[in-house]
Formats: sequence, structure tokens, C-alpha cells
Amino acid sequence: MGANQRLRKRTVWLLVIILALGFGAVITRLGYLQLVQGEELQRRAVEQQLSDTPISAKRGTIYDTNGKVLAQSASVWRVVMAPAYFDNDEQRQFVAKRLAEILDLNEAELLEDTKQNTYYVSVKRKIESEEKEEIIKLQKEISEKYNKTAIISLLDDYKRYYPYSDLASSVIGFTGMDDQGLSGVEYQYNGELTGTPGRIVTAQNGIQTEMPFDYNQNIDAIDGNSLVLTIDETVQSIVEKHMKQGIIDNDVHERGVCIIMDVNTGEIKAMATVNGFDLNNPYTISEEQQKEIDEIDNEYLIEHDYTEDPSKLSKDERNKLIEQAKAEAESAALSKNWRNKAVSDTYYPGSVFKMVTLSMALQEGAVDEDSSFFCGGSYSIYNDEINCTGNHGTQTYQQALWNSCNPAFIQIGQAVGAENFWNYYQAFGFSEKTGIDLPGESADQFFKYEGIEDNMGPVDLAVASFGQNFAITPIQMITAACAVTNGGYLVQPHVVKQILDKDGNVVKNISTEPKRQVISSEVSKEMCELLEENVIDYGGKNGYVAGYRIGGKTGTSEKLIDVNGDGVDDYIASFCGIAPANNPQYACLVFFDAPLAGNYYGSQVSAPVFASIMSEVLPYLNVVAQYNDDELSKIDTTTGAYTGMSVDDATNTANADGFNVTVKGEGSKVLAQNPPTGASIPMGGTVVLYTDEASSTEKVTVPSFADYSVSDANYIAAEAGVNVSLTGQVTSADSKAISQSIPEGTEVAPGTVVVVTFSTEGVHD
Amino acid sequence: MSTIEHTSAERRRDYERSRARRSAASRTDRRGTRTARDGREASAMPPERKKIRFSLLSIGKGLDVPFVLIILALLVIGLTMMFSASYPVAYYEMGDSYYYLKRQIIFAVIGLAVMIAVSYIDYHYYHRFSALILGVSYFALVLVLILPAQEGGVHRWIGIGDIFGIQASEISKFAIILFLAHWGSRYYDRMDTFKYGILPAGAVLASTAFLLLLEPHYSCIVIISILTVIMLFVSGIKLKWLIIGGIALVGIILVLWMTGLLTYAMERMDGWGQALVYKDNDQWQQTWQTRNSLYAIGSGGLFGLGLGQSRQKYLYLPEPQNDFVFAIVCEELGLIGAALILLIFALLVWRGVVISLRARDRFGKLLGIGLISHIGLQVILNILVITDWLPNTGISLPFFSYGGSSLLTLMFEMGVILSVSRTSNVEKS
Repeated sequence: MGANQRLRKRTVWLLVIILALGFGAVITRLGYLQLVQGEELQRRAVEQQLSDTPISAKRGTIYDTNGKVLAQSASVWRVVMAPAYFDNDEQRQFVAKRLAEILDLNEAELLEDTKQNTYYVSVKRKIESEEKEEIIKLQKEISEKYNKTAIISLLDDYKRYYPYSDLASSVIGFTGMDDQGLSGVEYQYNGELTGTPGRIVTAQNGIQTEMPFDYNQNIDAIDGNSLVLTIDETVQSIVEKHMKQGIIDNDVHERGVCIIMDVNTGEIKAMATVNGFDLNNPYTISEEQQKEIDEIDNEYLIEHDYTEDPSKLSKDERNKLIEQAKAEAESAALSKNWRNKAVSDTYYPGSVFKMVTLSMALQEGAVDEDSSFFCGGSYSIYNDEINCTGNHGTQTYQQALWNSCNPAFIQIGQAVGAENFWNYYQAFGFSEKTGIDLPGESADQFFKYEGIEDNMGPVDLAVASFGQNFAITPIQMITAACAVTNGGYLVQPHVVKQILDKDGNVVKNISTEPKRQVISSEVSKEMCELLEENVIDYGGKNGYVAGYRIGGKTGTSEKLIDVNGDGVDDYIASFCGIAPANNPQYACLVFFDAPLAGNYYGSQVSAPVFASIMSEVLPYLNVVAQYNDDELSKIDTTTGAYTGMSVDDATNTANADGFNVTVKGEGSKVLAQNPPTGASIPMGGTVVLYTDEASSTEKVTVPSFADYSVSDANYIAAEAGVNVSLTGQVTSADSKAISQSIPEGTEVAPGTVVVVTFSTEGVHD
Repeated sequence: MSTIEHTSAERRRDYERSRARRSAASRTDRRGTRTARDGREASAMPPERKKIRFSLLSIGKGLDVPFVLIILALLVIGLTMMFSASYPVAYYEMGDSYYYLKRQIIFAVIGLAVMIAVSYIDYHYYHRFSALILGVSYFALVLVLILPAQEGGVHRWIGIGDIFGIQASEISKFAIILFLAHWGSRYYDRMDTFKYGILPAGAVLASTAFLLLLEPHYSCIVIISILTVIMLFVSGIKLKWLIIGGIALVGIILVLWMTGLLTYAMERMDGWGQALVYKDNDQWQQTWQTRNSLYAIGSGGLFGLGLGQSRQKYLYLPEPQNDFVFAIVCEELGLIGAALILLIFALLVWRGVVISLRARDRFGKLLGIGLISHIGLQVILNILVITDWLPNTGISLPFFSYGGSSLLTLMFEMGVILSVSRTSNVEKS
């Protein structure tokens, strides 16, 4: 083969290799990248090319059952800075200085921020309109001074406001910096409330500024849904007012709980863990809590096992430990504040549980009219001696309940039997969470679940019969009490009634069906009667509310914990009642954890608070009052408008309204009256009519009503020239005044109404 | 025997050989024109020595028009796409969207002039100066090592002020092609020996590669190695040497692989082949350009985003006007556009080969084949780099990548091929 022929041949080969192999490989590779991998590569490219600015969706509003706003989001702004646009340090210093002034921030830190070479630094979040105006001014200044417009910008943001601050704080809950629910309903219904954030999608280049593309896409934010709670702000306020007073009066160490629930629907009308916290400042602890933290010292370190001997440590180490202890104490205080005791804490229900034990005994026919139970002041079972508060002798089951007699209930429990007891325990919903729509619900702590016969011994059954040694949550207790009294149905407690969309249209009505019937309506009816008797004549007297048919049961349970370190185990005082007893509508559980003021029985601590709450709540909830004659004589009546009438006319009218009249002054016409028009005073109270200017300056002194009976109080009031409005247990013969709304010795106008609260000694159960 | 004497002797042999072949071809050829031209050419030539007919004033005469048209097409498309790819970086970094376009147009115009001018130069002059040009190449390679380093610590550029610079390797590539064409035509009958076929080429390649290693400029070593193999193959060395060379290469790679050095080297090569997988920050930074090139190519799909619609050129793909310009082409014109451009490149290579094979003498053939192979190789390697099949080592795309000296070198080489075409026996229009 000649050299040229070889060259030609080899060149053709070369051409084939270059074109077929080389270009073939290249085309194959490009085809693979563009067609096979193309989608994925394009997705990744677009991911880096598009800047995605979220638009916050407005969080839904939380309303009370009547549409009052409990939680609402309002527009605020976020200040962001694009420091990459700065040209020199003079500009940086100016902007840092002005921002620090306006937003109350650290100037040195801001100056550091201005030196970053980025287009997005978040300067401050959630600024309000005053600061926003200042920032807009600053933007103008910068634009005039340096001809720069993009250095500072404002982004829309939302802030959560809670108009009633600490009201129902543990139920409503609060949100975090990013508008996410952190506790309560805010957490539980976060998905409904949050809405869908929108987006502004823009194309951006490699240095995060905008590309000259027509690639702007706005996806509007969809505002969150609103919630209508079953909670009634008025009821809740009444509850919290009295609970706070109860905590002060009884020096309650571990907070108190009150739940008001519709017995038939499971709607929670009020749920208070008192004292709560300010929802607008959830991270602020109370002054007392702060004081305790400030007092942390070496002693505290030893007590709380931080160190055995602080003196062995260097000063720095000691201070460090103290700082650590303070930080831990603060976070413990915060989580304690946020904890919804009504669903998250368990307690021994104590004697309140006797209504459940008796219900099961009646339903099972384990007791009847012929049963009798003997109490000799204590009851021995194996080696354990269980004491009773009294020596009740032989009792029927009714008397056993009214006496709140532990030995009698041990016998009733035995009559029911461990297996039945366990079955009813489950049936009343104690073995499962109630499923209330609130976060952090705790489960009960029963003896042992499996193999109840082997694991629940006779002693266990004995103490369980009167509500000791197993722990349940307050919400479980009140739900069971509803089942006892509403005809036997276990209802679903819930706090949200309706979900509304952003325009207020109903998205969903939440109505719950009873889970099951636990006892017959006959047994339930009998229980209501027994509980009403208990309030009228026996241990529950302090829970009585004039004009209403209240049924209830007191409870004092041992915590078996010494909360304040005085060497004595502390108690939980509770009262669970229903009204009206002939046709129950509302149940109310009042519960004080560790009252330390001396009284710790449910009848002394919780029942009067229950009565105070119900006396305001029941009229508000339109529960029709049903007075007996005795009550009618003490019933408050509304004063009329007598001002402007002639003295004679006014006197006649007031008398006709059922009031006595005292005329002050020499005039012929009534210029003023006390109590003013529309005030509530008892029938037979005194209305003072003023007929001239001089007489209206006259004052009387409020007397002390302490420890006086109802009739004595009326007499003393008449003597002193004031009116009294009587509340609490006023029908019992041994009722004594325990508090008055205007302190003794106060100078007031004649006829001023003083509210006096009465209570009886109560039973020790 | 002086070089010139030998050259004339060789030319004579070349001439006679090709004449014999052509007359044989013309006898079998049914196309009258060729036969007629052959006769005309033959009659115009002195019997002793070929007189190459150069027509100074008539470009059309003797110049291969299809080749010129292909070059013009590539130049126009290349300029357009380079402009499209470069205007965002030009805007953001230079403050003038037309910064690269303006300069490249000037270079293109000068380049065209250079090409036309060079096409008039009888390529046989290079025959004489091949040794000298090889000497210049060595000188340039040594000179860059002495000159201050460029960005990244490499010694590649010889600058003339700040305005114009040329890569020493550009000279080397041309010098080696020229030398091998010279050698292959001169010792065409001894190319199947080791002494003439392998040894001189091996020595030139090894010494040049060594100097390039010092720069360092690995991609150029790869290119000149492949070019040397191509030239030797075409020049007629024994195939066993290629097989031996191949076995040796595989052996070296195996040894490197067994000792783990290969993996190490691959990892060192800027995360070659790993651009889409995040390993660590360093690797992610290193593979930034390749990754964004892949994003651009992939975004194009079949039909592309449309001319000027690339997004990756907005400061995502660094230096889109240079080596990675074709990634933007793929993004804007899609697989179809890319394939069409590759087709034009393939036509260029094909036409170059046709011109070369029809060249009057062996030197012209070898020179043309060498130069056109260089273009084809450069295209293939460039695209394999931007698609992450080869490490990112700086191989520009002819006619597309921005750069004055490389465009001028390219146009000069095209001029040389055109010069060959003036004498070659091919239908010119």
C-alpha cells in the first residue's frame, strides 16, 4: 500500500473516529443532560434563580361564644436592611445610629450588621405604627442624603393581641415569633388559624438582585380561619375574679382550677387556671415569682442539689451555679404558668368521687333502701386503719353520701366489687383521656390496668371508693360528674364551637355526640336529688346559691406532698356542683391546690367560691331562679328611679317597690337617691331620698359584719344606715358572715349597698 | 543535502505520485469538469516543478468557498451567542453590556483579514520554517515560566502590555502540527520505522509536555498528545506502535488506579464528575461553574428557552463568555440548536479533511489534517468539559469563546487551510 493511499485511508478512519465517536459522544451526552436529566437540572436551576419571599397570612381570630374577640392579629412591620448597597462607612454609621435611636437597638451591633455584604438583614420584627412612621422618615432621609432607596425596607408582619390579657390564658394560649401557636387553642388549632402564606416569586441573579425578566408571580396569602370558642368571656371573668379572691383568701400555693361545663353538650363555658399569665407577655413571670428567683442563694443551691457545699467553690463557680439555678427556676416558673392545670395535672379526686362510687353501686343494685353502713369513726382493713371525720353510726347510703363517710363508702365499694369498680371506672371515662380539644392532656394513674383482680387489692379498692390513691385530671372529674347528673351520658368536653373562614362564614360546626350511657336516667335522677339534699342540709351547704337548685359534693384530698416545707402534707380542696338539680344544665368544679391559710376542707375553701361564682353565672346564663318563701324575703330587688318626684310620690313608689324610705333634707322634691336607680338590695332595704344639697354630704360608717348571722347582719345594717346584699350560704341556721365588700369603718353615703358573704362551718370530709 | 534541496526533491516525488494517482482517477472519473481541470492544471504546470497558481486579486479563485462559508457561519453564530452569553456579566462587571461583543467583533474583523492574508501565503514557506517555529514555541514556553504568573498561579500568557496577550501553548500546538506535517512529508517513506516515525515526534511531544507541565497546562498536554498521535497515525507509522502506546497508557492508568493515585488525582481535579452531589463546602465551591453549566444545559431541554432567554448567564455561571459559552447556547437554543451548531462544526471538519486530502502534496495534506483535527478535537473536548465528562481545565470553543489571541490564532490556522485549499484539487464553489 502506497504512502498516500495509507494516508487517505487512515484519514478517513480518523474522520470517522472524530465525527462518529467524538461528536457522537458529545451529542449523546448533551441529549442525556437535556432530555433525560433536563427536568431535574432545570428544577435545580430554577430553585436558585427564583427568590421566594413569603407573604404572611393573617392568623385567624379567636372569639368567645358571643363573638367577643379573645385573640386577634394586627398589622405590624418588620424592618430589613440591604447593607450591600452601602458605599462607605459614613453611610453605615449614619444608618446604624438612626436605626438604634428609632428602634431602641444596640448601635454597635447594628454597625456590625451594616458591614455585611448581603441584601437581607432582619433588623427588628413586629414594630408598630409609630416606629414604622419613623422608619419611613428615615427612608426619606437616606434617599435625600445618599440617593439610595433600597437600604431599609419594611415588610408586612402580624402581631397577636389578646384584649383580655390573662383571661383564660391557659385555654387560649399564645403564639411564637413566627406566629405559630405554642399552647392552648392557639396550638391545638394552629392548622386552622394559620392560613396559607402567600409568595412573591421573582427571578434573581447570582448576586440576589432582580433579573430583567418578566418573571414575577404573586400568590396571595389566604388568611387563617377563625375560631368561636364555647368559652363565655363574661362567665370566664366571673370565674377568674372569684378564683383569684379565693387564692388570696386561702393562701393557695399551687394555683386553682375552675371549670364550668354544659352537662348535656360538653361545651366548656369557662376553664380557668388561676393565676394565669399575661398572654401579651407570656415570657414575663409574676413579681412574686421574680422575687423568689432573686432570692436564690447558697442555701438554695444546697437544697436543690446543685452542690453539697457552696463554700468549697470559688466565687466565680458559685455565681455561675447561682445564675444557672436562676435560669432554671425561671424556665420552671414559666412552664408552670403556662400549664393548663385543668387538663394537664392529675390529682386524687377525694370525696367528690363518692358521687361516682354511689352511682355505680345504685346502677349495679349493690345497695338499696335496706342497705345500712356502720361507721365507728374508723375502719380497719388488713393492717390499715382508715379514719373517718366523724362517728356516724349506722347510715343509709343516702346518709353515707351526706356525711361523706369513708367507712360507709369502703363498704359500698366492697359491695360493688373490684371488677365492677374497674368497669365503671372505665365507663365513666377515667381510664382514657377525655379528648378535649386542648393540648397536653394527661392520662390518669390507676393502680394497675391489666388483671384488675390480682393487682387491685382490697385496700386499693377501699381507698379508691372514696377517691384516694388514684389520680385523674380535673376535666375527667367534671366530665364524670356530668354523666352522673345528666341522665347518665358521658359527653365529650370541648372548647371550640365553630370554625369560621376569613369572611366569617361557618366552615364547621362542632357538635359532639355523647360517647355512651354509663348509668340509667333513674339512677342519675336520684343522684341529683341526693346531691341537692347534700347542698341544702348537709356537707355541701356552702355551695348553696339562693334561688337556685344546686346539687354538689365537697372533696378534700390528700396530696401526700408537703409543698411549703412546713412538715405537714398538704391538701386539695374541691367542690363539684350542678344546677339546677331538677334539670341539670351546668356543672362547675372548683379546685384549690394546697390552700395554706388554715382551712383546707373543700367545704370551707372551695364551696363558698363555687357559690359566689354560681350566684353570678347562673343569672347571666339565664337559668331561671326558683325561690322558696324564706329566700323570697331575702331576695334582692332593683331600686326604681325616684329622683325628680315629689317627696310623697317618691316615698309611696319606693314603699310599693318594697323598700323602706329615709328622707334627708328639707326640700319638697327628691334631688338624689341612694342606692342609685337599678341597684340590687334586699326587699325591705332602705332607700335614702335627698331633698336638698346640704343633706347629700352626710356620711355613715360601715360596721363590721364578721361572724354575725344573717338576721343579725340585717339588723346591724339597718342600725348603721346602710343596705346589705346577702350572698353565700344564707339559709342555714349556722351561717356566719365571712366577708364584706366594703371594709369596716369606711365612710359612705347612707343607703350604700354592702355585699356580705355568708358561710357555714361545713363538713370535714 | 540542504533542506531546500531535499524539499524540492520530495515535492517532485509528491507531485509525480499525485499526478499518477490523479490521472488514474481522472480516467475512471465520469465527471468531465474534473478531467478538464486536471488537464488544464497539468498543462499550466512546468513538468519539473509544480507552479502553484496564486491569484492575488481574486479571492474566489482557488479559495474553497464552502469552507469559507462554514467559517463565516460559525463566526456569526459564535459572535451572536458569545454576546448573548456575555451581556449580563459585561453589564454587571464591566458596566457595559457590549464590552465583550465590541472587542470580539474587532478581533473577528482582524481575524478575517488575517485569514484572507494568510490564505495567500504559500504554505510551503512553513515547510521551511517548521524547525524555526518549533524553536519559537520552545522559547515561548520557557519565556512564560520566567514571566510573572497569572491568576491562579499559572504561567500561560505572554502579554504585550495589558492590551494583547497570547498563550504560549497556542504557538506550541501550531508548531507541533507543523513540525509533524513537515517531518511526516519529508520522511514519508521511513515513518514506519521507530527512529523516524516515533522517536522525533516522541521527543518533541515529551519536551513540550514537560514545559507545559511546569506552567501548568494539563489540557494542552492532552491536546498535543492526541494531535501527535493523530499526525503519526495519518503519517503512516506502524499500527503496533499505537497498540503499544495504548497498552502502555492503560498500564499506567492501571498502576495509578491500583496505587490509589488515580482516585486522588480525580478528586484533585476540581471534583470532576461530582458537580451535582454535595460533599463539602470546598467541593461545592470548586464545582460551582461546572454545576451551573449542567443546570444551564439541562434547562435548555429540546427546544431551549429562546435566544437571549438564558437565566444561568445572570451571574450564576461564571465567565459564560469563555469556555462555558456552549452551556448558554444549550440553554437558549436547546438540544436542537446545539446539534445544528455541532453539525456545522462537523461540516467544517469534513470539508477541512476533504481539502486536505486533495492537497497537492503530502505536507499540505498533513498540515491540513492536523489543523482541522485540532479544531474538531477542541470542540469535542470543550463540550465534554462543560458536560462534566472531563475535568474543568480551560479548553475554549473555537469561534464561540471570547478571546482575541485564540480567535486570531484560529483564524490564522483557517487561513493556512485555505492556503492549502488554493492548491488542492477540489470543487471550490
